[in-house]
Amino acid sequence: MAGKRAAKQNQDERPAVPDGVAVVALPADCRLAAQAALQAELVAALERGAGVALDASAVERVDTAALQLLVLLRRELASRDGALAWRGASAAFNEAAGLLGLARILELPAAGPA
Amino acid sequence: MAKILAVDDSVSMRGMVAFTLRGAGHEVAEAENGQLALDVARGSSFDLVLADVNMPVMDGIAMVRELRAMDAYKGVPILMLTTESHTEKKMEGKAAGATGWLVKPFDPEQLLATVKRVLG
Amino acid sequence: MGAVDLTQFHKTFFEESLEGLDAMETALLALDSGSTDHELVHTIFRAAHSIKGGAATFGFADVAAFTHVAESLLEEVRSERRAVDGALIDLLLRSVDCLRAMLARSSSGQPAADAGSETLRGELLRLVSGEAAAAPGAAAPQAAAVDGWDIRFVALPHLLQTGNDPLRLFRELEQLGRLEVRRAFVLDSAPARLAELDPSQCHLGWELRLHGAIARGDVDAVFDWLDGDCELAIEALSGQARAAAAQPAPAAAPPAVAPASATAPAAPPAREATASATASAEASSIRVGIDKVDALINMMGELVITQSMLSDIGEHFDFTKLERLREGLAQLERNTRELQESVMRIRMLPIGSVFNRFPRLVRDLERKLGKQVRLELHGEHTELDKTVLEKIGDPLVHLVRNAIDHGLETPEKRRAAGKPDAGTLTLDAHHEGGNIIVRISDDGAGLNRAAIVGKAVERGLVQPGQQLSDEEVAELIFAPGFSTAAQATDLSGRGVGMDVVRRNVRDLGGSVGVKSEAGKGSVFTIALPLTLAIIDGLVTAVGEERYIVPLTSIVESLRLGAEAVRRIAGGGEVFQFRGDYLPLMRLHRAFACAGAITEVERGIVVVIEDDGRRVGLLVDDLLGQQQAVIKSLEKHYQRVQGVSGATILSDGSVALIVDVGGVVRLGQRSKAA
Repeated sequence: MAGKRAAKQNQDERPAVPDGVAVVALPADCRLAAQAALQAELVAALERGAGVALDASAVERVDTAALQLLVLLRRELASRDGALAWRGASAAFNEAAGLLGLARILELPAAGPA
Repeated sequence: MAKILAVDDSVSMRGMVAFTLRGAGHEVAEAENGQLALDVARGSSFDLVLADVNMPVMDGIAMVRELRAMDAYKGVPILMLTTESHTEKKMEGKAAGATGWLVKPFDPEQLLATVKRVLG
Repeated sequence: MGAVDLTQFHKTFFEESLEGLDAMETALLALDSGSTDHELVHTIFRAAHSIKGGAATFGFADVAAFTHVAESLLEEVRSERRAVDGALIDLLLRSVDCLRAMLARSSSGQPAADAGSETLRGELLRLVSGEAAAAPGAAAPQAAAVDGWDIRFVALPHLLQTGNDPLRLFRELEQLGRLEVRRAFVLDSAPARLAELDPSQCHLGWELRLHGAIARGDVDAVFDWLDGDCELAIEALSGQARAAAAQPAPAAAPPAVAPASATAPAAPPAREATASATASAEASSIRVGIDKVDALINMMGELVITQSMLSDIGEHFDFTKLERLREGLAQLERNTRELQESVMRIRMLPIGSVFNRFPRLVRDLERKLGKQVRLELHGEHTELDKTVLEKIGDPLVHLVRNAIDHGLETPEKRRAAGKPDAGTLTLDAHHEGGNIIVRISDDGAGLNRAAIVGKAVERGLVQPGQQLSDEEVAELIFAPGFSTAAQATDLSGRGVGMDVVRRNVRDLGGSVGVKSEAGKGSVFTIALPLTLAIIDGLVTAVGEERYIVPLTSIVESLRLGAEAVRRIAGGGEVFQFRGDYLPLMRLHRAFACAGAITEVERGIVVVIEDDGRRVGLLVDDLLGQQQAVIKSLEKHYQRVQGVSGATILSDGSVALIVDVGGVVRLGQRSKAA
């Protein structure tokens, strides 16, 4: 699933992903109903141990639950000395993270007002 | 725009709600009681559910409880349309998992404002 | 889009409100007769509640105000704070009547309330305890304006499962003023491992600052749905609470959480309240069972298939396809005919909707006349054309009033005559001989021959001393000018006599007659023609032919041994059934069908009944039940004895419908012979 979505992105404009880092693409509708699957993907990525790269560029709809999921991912990564990288984020995603004041915790590169 | 499920046993109220929402560009499905609403909800997905409280067969409160038990509707906003400004009914609805309520009578503008409020 | 025009929903609102009142009335009557079913109370409450909600929404303030009080009373009943007694039911029944009148006035554009409705509302109001509390209090005085608010908002775990997303709340706050998230934090309740998180549980909290001269009430309104779903602390921006600042809220500001007007649909604020309720009250609509709609859709489907087949033939036509063209056209004809019948069926409604008025009418009459009446309704599902149904109501009401007023005796007189105190009034509807028969029978005193003849002489309708048969006497009551003010009480009177009843029924192409027996009661029979009607029938096979026997007339189907049938003088055959000898009628012989089973023991005997008389029909086999649309044979062919019409079966073949009345008469004659 993640592979398919990632493949759609334009590779050139995005930061390169170091070897072994798992890329997880967030679905367009990233709300609660989709999060069981997303959580499983994130946990699997986390277990690989080399850090996680997130791609939120396709996200059209997002809720607090999704951002909470990512905040907890970030927290667990930090406890394992893993790094979180961003391969892109849609405007909708950035707006939501900014509004909830979570952009900084999530280390979003082009985050809204801190 | 959004996909909305309107549940009310009153044809005129349901008609008014559906008409108003469609006029604002939303896609609206209708059901005349809680039981039928569950059937519709199972076969599709919605961004918002608007439901009357007092309905035959299955009332709005039981319907909310059933919807919240379904994975696909855990976080979906559900508004109760009710004339009962009594705290107990609201609390009963809330305890069942309703997001909020819209107190009848409401006019189309109030309906749209509340829907807009819930959909963000 | 402009302002939504709500007048288009008024008609539906009136219709469903009247239906609701009917349901209310039925339930009230059931409660009155001692039922303790709590669902009845719910039904009554629901109806009142819907009417109130709709009335308020569609701008019928008087109706809403009236229903509000009635609903408050019903709420007390529903929550068992008030017991149901006869007086309460009376009051609620009067409220039902009052609301009907109010709705009627509203629908014709007049003010709904009048002196009567206001008096009744006052009566209800006095009964409702603590009504004073219902008036919505004025909004609490707004706190003085401040420079902003510090908000500490901590979600309880279940917050997201109520559909209240903090994102949405923050967006609402942003509408009020500049929102600053000073801190967002993860709560201790959050699991350490992502794998253990239930995404629908919320473990986040925020410290927010909302900048601006914003009323506290507006901030509270954002969180008004979240009571019990979060911990919330709202404080005026510290050190800057300049108490009596300018205005509490700018007068021009939009109310509470109204969306920015830039994105809201441009809706002119002017909204008419009760105006334009002038929509024609005449235009009526019809509620149609989904099965009938499905049948229509099915037939449309067949029509489309036929059409595509025909256009296919037409596209590459040559004479080898002539036969297929003929078949296609025949199919088209069949489809069209079926479609037509289905469309006509939409107009058919059960007579129950008219019968339902009578429990109330009977109850009122009982009280007014000091009589006791047991009302029995039969055949409520019999379907009639909507037009016929609408016009048969008044004649039936008149006949029922008449039966109770003149037919049934007072309990004292009945006791003296050795009858039970309560008289029995029976309304029955069924199909018979291609007609729909509605019977109004009572077990009262019967027509008073002497009084009728006396009156007729007085009116100059007959000569004194003229010899009259019972039938002729009965006919007199239908004579124009027979009913007079002197005879008619305020109940059965109202300026309507039996002659008007007869004229109304004749206008529908029907007839009305009466049979009466002194001391035993009277039976008024209305026969309405079936231009089109539907019966539930049992499809039977007789040789190659199919006959439909109306289900309601069937007593039993059985197999007989050859020895069970006896030949009687004159050539008839009888068999024993439940202690009676019934005539056996061999349908194949009566209708001259070829190839049918002639040995009784190999066929099936269907026992049918009409008017208490029974006959056994010998058929080959029973094929199943089917709803049949009755087609008149007279129109297409000619009248056939023993057959009330024809119908088309699902396979397209024609079946004849057995005229139960006619067949029974034939059978009885052969037995008597």
